[in-house]
Amino acid sequence: MIEILMRDIFWSGLAALGFALLFNVPRRTLPGCVIAGAAGHGLRTLLMTGGASIEGATLVGATCIGFLSVYGGRYWHTPPAIFAVSGVIPMIPGRFAYGTMIGLLQLAQLGADTPQTVLVDISVNAIKTALILGALAVGITTPTMLFTRQKPAVKTDP
Amino acid sequence: MTTTSNNKPPLSRDALRDVNELALWAGQMLLQHGAETARIEQSVHRIGTGLGCDWLDVLVSPNGLLVTSNSGGEFRTRLRRVTHTGVNMAVLDEISHLTHRIERGEMNRFEVRAELERIDQLTRNYNRWLVAVMVGLACAAFSQLAGGDTAAFFVTLTASGAAMLARQEMLHRDFNYLLNVTLTAFVAGLIASAGAMFKLSTTPDAALASSVLLLVPGVPLINAAEDLIKGHMVIGVVRGLTGVLISLGIALGLLLAMSLMGAGTL
Repeated sequence: MIEILMRDIFWSGLAALGFALLFNVPRRTLPGCVIAGAAGHGLRTLLMTGGASIEGATLVGATCIGFLSVYGGRYWHTPPAIFAVSGVIPMIPGRFAYGTMIGLLQLAQLGADTPQTVLVDISVNAIKTALILGALAVGITTPTMLFTRQKPAVKTDP
Repeated sequence: MTTTSNNKPPLSRDALRDVNELALWAGQMLLQHGAETARIEQSVHRIGTGLGCDWLDVLVSPNGLLVTSNSGGEFRTRLRRVTHTGVNMAVLDEISHLTHRIERGEMNRFEVRAELERIDQLTRNYNRWLVAVMVGLACAAFSQLAGGDTAAFFVTLTASGAAMLARQEMLHRDFNYLLNVTLTAFVAGLIASAGAMFKLSTTPDAALASSVLLLVPGVPLINAAEDLIKGHMVIGVVRGLTGVLISLGIALGLLLAMSLMGAGTL
């Protein structure tokens, strides 16, 4: 259990680090990006081993990243988006998107002879991809919406 | 239109032109390098008012920026065309610092111009080879998260690292962004399919699915979500659509490579 979690944290931290470099984040913020990625994905895995669904666990993990980003932004004096974007990358539903794509390809090849299980697989994969992406978006925007309620900079009547 | 509610002295005609241009320039860099719309509006507004304007109106469109600065009953409007040139968080960080310093009244417009010139000339923080290796490692880490074995790790590392180098070369030569995405996915798919063909790994799917993740349109999709939630519908929809097109490009490139290598029926 602990071993699974440690492996998970290691790989998700590495994934977040690679993408932080790709996004050219400032050097001093690299630890924050790794922490955000590892914490979000680690929390998701922890919840899933406890029996939570992947969508629900993703929402909690992404919300955690959102809060960490806000605090990271204050600590390192930088836009929180740096941590949010690098942090959610490990939770991107690549496997489900891939499954959807392969399933659709099979559907195109087999036509009317497509087994029902393939159709169900496509639907499940597509729905999971969409739900996980939605959970990521809602999760990381929640803290910003709660914390930064300021009057908009652009108003017609100042 | 005119606001006289604050006590700022009116700017001269030259100063107003300058401040308008500086605010627009900062906004342009933010839009180019992947900032969300609310941040762009706020930064442009703060820079302008921090440098002595009474008020700024900002319109952020997917491929342009329109700014009107008001001071003492006089106003200046300017439009600038903006093309997206890829995510660069260091620029967002620098402009955020600049905005704070302007708001604290530490800088005049000449210093701001010099600072923006410096930010514009910034080289990337990380060497391109280091980025290629680290992106390869990141995708290889994805293959481990997706349940791949050790061979899948190394196949993904090779595929993604090589794809990243190909992507850098194509970016350097200004290829169309969708063509770039498709060809990059093709390169990654080719190497990952070769790994599957030679039966290097017992989990070829993990390698194939992970090798193209370097292209994931994370920033456009997250910005789209932020923009839509905060009410910037037009730019949010455009960014979402960009993300969808990139995803389709990834699928196309990967499928081409897999069918070419006969790895399509795994």
